[in-house]
Amino acid sequence: MTTPRFYWLLFGLAGLVIAFFPLRFHFSEPQEREFRIYASQYAYSPAKLSANPGDTVTIELVSTDVVHGLYIDGYGVSVTADPGETARLTFTADHPGAFRLRCNVTCGALHPFMIGKLQVGTNSLLWRAIGLSILTALAGVMLFKPPTQIKTA
Amino acid sequence: MRYELTRFPLVKAVLKNRWPQLVVLTVMLAGFLFAIMAGLVGTPVGNQNFVIVFVWIAWWAILILVAVPFLGRGWCAVCPIPLPGEWLSRGAILAPHDGKKPWLNMRWPNRFRNIWSQNITFLLVALFSTVILTTPLVSGGVLAAMLMVAIGTSLVFERRAFCRYLCPVGGFIGLYAQTAPLELRVKNKDRCIQCVGKPCYNGSAAGYGCPWQVFPPGLTRNTYCGLCMECLRTCPHDNIALNLRPFGADLEKPSRRMDEAFKAFIMLGAAMIYALVLLGTNGTLKSAAYSVGSVTWFGYAVGFLVFILGILPGFFWLAVRIGQLLSGSIDPIRSAFTAFATTLVPLGLMSWIAFSLSFVLTNASYILSSVSDPFGWGWNLFGTAGITWQPLLSTLVIPMQVLALAGGLLWSVRTAQKVSAETQITPLPVVIYAMMATLMMLGLLL
Amino acid sequence: MKRSEILARCLVITATLSVLVIPPAARWFNNRQAVELHAKIAEIGGWTPESISAQVGAPLHLRLTSDDVIHGFAVGKLDGPAVDVEPGKVTSLTLNFDKPGKYTFYCTRWCGLNHWRMRGTVDVTGKGTLDPQPAPPPLYTTLNLDLDAPHPVAVIPVVKPSAVRGKKLANAHPIIRYLIPDYYRSHSPAQVYLDLRADQSLTLLNDPQVWDLVAYIWQQNTTPAALADGRQRFARNCAACHGETGAGNGVFADDLAQFDTLGTSGSNRPVDFTNPVTMLGAGPGLLQGKIIRGGMGTGMPMWGSIFSDDQIWSVISYLYSYHFEESIK
Repeated sequence: MTTPRFYWLLFGLAGLVIAFFPLRFHFSEPQEREFRIYASQYAYSPAKLSANPGDTVTIELVSTDVVHGLYIDGYGVSVTADPGETARLTFTADHPGAFRLRCNVTCGALHPFMIGKLQVGTNSLLWRAIGLSILTALAGVMLFKPPTQIKTA
Repeated sequence: MRYELTRFPLVKAVLKNRWPQLVVLTVMLAGFLFAIMAGLVGTPVGNQNFVIVFVWIAWWAILILVAVPFLGRGWCAVCPIPLPGEWLSRGAILAPHDGKKPWLNMRWPNRFRNIWSQNITFLLVALFSTVILTTPLVSGGVLAAMLMVAIGTSLVFERRAFCRYLCPVGGFIGLYAQTAPLELRVKNKDRCIQCVGKPCYNGSAAGYGCPWQVFPPGLTRNTYCGLCMECLRTCPHDNIALNLRPFGADLEKPSRRMDEAFKAFIMLGAAMIYALVLLGTNGTLKSAAYSVGSVTWFGYAVGFLVFILGILPGFFWLAVRIGQLLSGSIDPIRSAFTAFATTLVPLGLMSWIAFSLSFVLTNASYILSSVSDPFGWGWNLFGTAGITWQPLLSTLVIPMQVLALAGGLLWSVRTAQKVSAETQITPLPVVIYAMMATLMMLGLLL
Repeated sequence: MKRSEILARCLVITATLSVLVIPPAARWFNNRQAVELHAKIAEIGGWTPESISAQVGAPLHLRLTSDDVIHGFAVGKLDGPAVDVEPGKVTSLTLNFDKPGKYTFYCTRWCGLNHWRMRGTVDVTGKGTLDPQPAPPPLYTTLNLDLDAPHPVAVIPVVKPSAVRGKKLANAHPIIRYLIPDYYRSHSPAQVYLDLRADQSLTLLNDPQVWDLVAYIWQQNTTPAALADGRQRFARNCAACHGETGAGNGVFADDLAQFDTLGTSGSNRPVDFTNPVTMLGAGPGLLQGKIIRGGMGTGMPMWGSIFSDDQIWSVISYLYSYHFEESIK
C-alpha cells in the first residue's frame, strides 16, 4: 500500500537515520600535531588543517604584517600574535567535525572575512547533509506528484 | 485558505490610521540618517561603526530571516528611503490636502516598466559589495546616494518609481515576497467592477492612489505590493484585506517574466559567490573582490557576471530543454524557462538564509557594542561598549544551514512539480539542477 | 494646514534634526579638553596629528583611536607603560610632563613594514622643576667609531663561551681592569679576547678558556633582570625584522630589500645577530651607536629618542647572549 502517508513515513525515517545514525570512523591513536600558520591580511596559510579526534594540536601563529588573532569557532580557544612574536596555542581536538578559524583582532577592512578551517576527523555533517539533500530531492519527486502524469518519451 | 487579519477592528483601525505608521517611519528615517552620518563621520573601522553593524548585520538579519520569509514586502512598508521625496512631491506628510498636485509626476517609460533596471542596480551593488560591506564611508555614501536618487525620482516621476524600478533591495524582496504567508488582496472583485473612480488607484481625499502603481483588484501576487496601506484607506467599499495564507502561495501561479527569472539567477548566483569568496578560506579571492579597479578585480567581476548571467541560466536552460525533449513538449522554450524559474525562488531564498545565518550569528555580538558606541568615538550609551566579539550559537549554525538548504530544496522540488503540472513538462532535470545547487551551497558553507 | 499635518511635520523635523545635530555636538563637547589622536598604518598617514603641544605641569589629555588595525602608543624617554590603540575604540590617556623639550611618541604594536616610522612629537614648553642636564654624547662619537664600517673578525670561538666557566677562571686569574663598564663598552668581544690573549698573566689559559673569560666579562656587565628586559624589548621591537632567533630572518626581512635607497650593494636584509664573525667584532659602543642612529637608507630605525641608555644596554647584552652562555641550563 504505497499511500502518500507511507512515503512521508518512509522518507521521514530515512531522513532521521541519515541525520542521526551514529557513524563510527576509525582513526589512528591520538597523537601530537603541530601546525605553523602564517597569518596575513586576510588569510591564514595554511588555511585548512586536519587532525584526528583526540589529537593534541599545537598551533604556532606567525603574523606577517599586523597583529592577528586566531579563534577556533566551536572550540572557543584563541591566540593572538604580533609580528615578530610567534604565539602558541595548544588544545585537545576532542570535538569532531569542521570548525572555522577566525581572526579575533581587528586587522583591517576584510577582518570579518579572514577565515580558515579546521577539520577534526571526517566532516560527517557534510556527508549527512549531502545524503539528506539527495533524499530530499527524491522525497520531493515522490511526495509531490502532480495530479496528471507527465509522459516521458 | 486565507485568514483575514483585517477582520479585527483593532487591526484595521491601526493600519488605517496614519499615526502608528508615521511613528514607525520616523524612527526608521532617523535611524537611516543616523547610519549615513555614522558612515560619513564615524570611525572608518567597519565592525565598530553603526552603519556597517546595523545595516549589514542587524537590518540584513531581520530582513532575510524574518521580514521577507514571513512578511513578504513588510520591510518596504516601513522603509524610509522614499519618504523625503514623497513628502516633498506630495507637499504633505499625512493625508492629501489642498488638492495639491504632485510635482512633475511623469509616467515611468513603458520600455522600462520591468525589473531589469533593478537587476542592474543589484548587480552593481553586488560587484562592489566587498568594499561596501566593510567600509563605513562607502556604505554611508551608497545609502545617501539611494536617498538622493529616490528624492530626485519622486520629483520627476509619479508615485514610488524608485521603489518599483530602481531600488536594488526591492528587486529581490519582491521576488521572494511570493513565498510569504502574508498578503494584501481585494475581498470581492465584483465590488471593484462596480466601483466608480477606482480611488484605490487614483486617490481620493482619504489617501493617495497606490504608490506602487499596482491596481489592487488585479493584485494576484505579492511581488509589487509594498504594503503601504493607502488602498486600505481609500477604498470606499471596505474591500481591501490583509490575509494570512500558506507559505509559497504565489508560487502556484508561476509568472512567465524573464526579468523575474533573471532576478532569481542573480540572487542564487550571488549567494554562491559570496559563500565562496567571503566565507571561504582563499585570501586571493577576497583581495580580488576588494581591490576595486585593479586587474584582479576586473577578473573577479567578469567571473562573477559570467557565472550569474551565463553559467547558471545556461545550465538551467539545458535542464528545461532536456525536460521538454523528454516530455515531447512543443512549447516555446522561453515560456517553459520562465515558468520553471519559479523553482529558484524558494531555493534562492533558503540559500540566502543559510548564507546569512553564518555571518550574522558570527558577528551579531558587534550589535551590542555598536549600540553603545555607534560612531566608534568612545561612547558607552548603554554600558555595552566593552563587549568583545564572540560568535553566537556556533554549534547550531551548521545544522540550521543544513535544514534551511534541505528545506529550500524540498520546497523548490514541490514548486517544480506544480510548474510541471501546468506546463506538462517533466521536472526531473530541473530537480537535479536544484539538487546540484543545494550540494554546491552545502560544500561552500559546511 | 491641518493641525495633524503640522504635528506630523514637527515630529519628523525634530527626529531628523536631533539625529543629525546631537552626535557631532557631543563629540565637539568631548573633545574640548582633549586631543583626539588617530592612528593609521604608516603607509597611509601614521599619526594624526603628528605634532602636539603641551605645557610643563599641565596634564595633556589624549583620546587615542585607530582607524585601521591595532596600534600602540608610548612616549619615548617618559616613564609609563604603552597603551593599546584599538580600531574603532577610544583609549583615554593623560600625560604629565615635568621637563620641557621635544618628546617623541611612537607606535608600540607592529602594524606593517613601516611600523617604526609611525612617530610624532610632543613639544613641551615651560619651566621644568629640574635643571635640564645636557645629555652626554653617545659613546660612538667619543670613541670616533665608524658605525657603517664592516667589522668581521678573524678568530671566533670553537665552542660557545660560557660565563660560568669564565667566572671560575676569573677567580683563579683576576681580571679586574677588564671588568669595568668603560672597558667593556668600548671594546668588541674580539678585541677583549685579543687583549686577554696578550695579557701576560693569562698565558697559561688556552683559547677557549680566554673566550670563557670574555663571556664572563659580558655577564658581569649585565644582570638577569636586564637580560630579561632586553629579551622582551628585542621580541617586541626587533624580532619582526631580525627574527625571533636573531638570525636576520624576521617576517619583514624579505620586504626590507626595497630599502636600498643608498644603492649600497650588499643586502639590506636585517643583520643576522647569530653570526659570530660580525657580532663578535661589534663592541657594545658600536651597537649602541647603530641602535641610536639607525641605518641610513636601510629599514633600521633610529631609537635614540625612544629608549633610554639603560634600555638600549639591556638589548645589547641580550644580543650577546646568542654567543655566550650565561648560566648552566
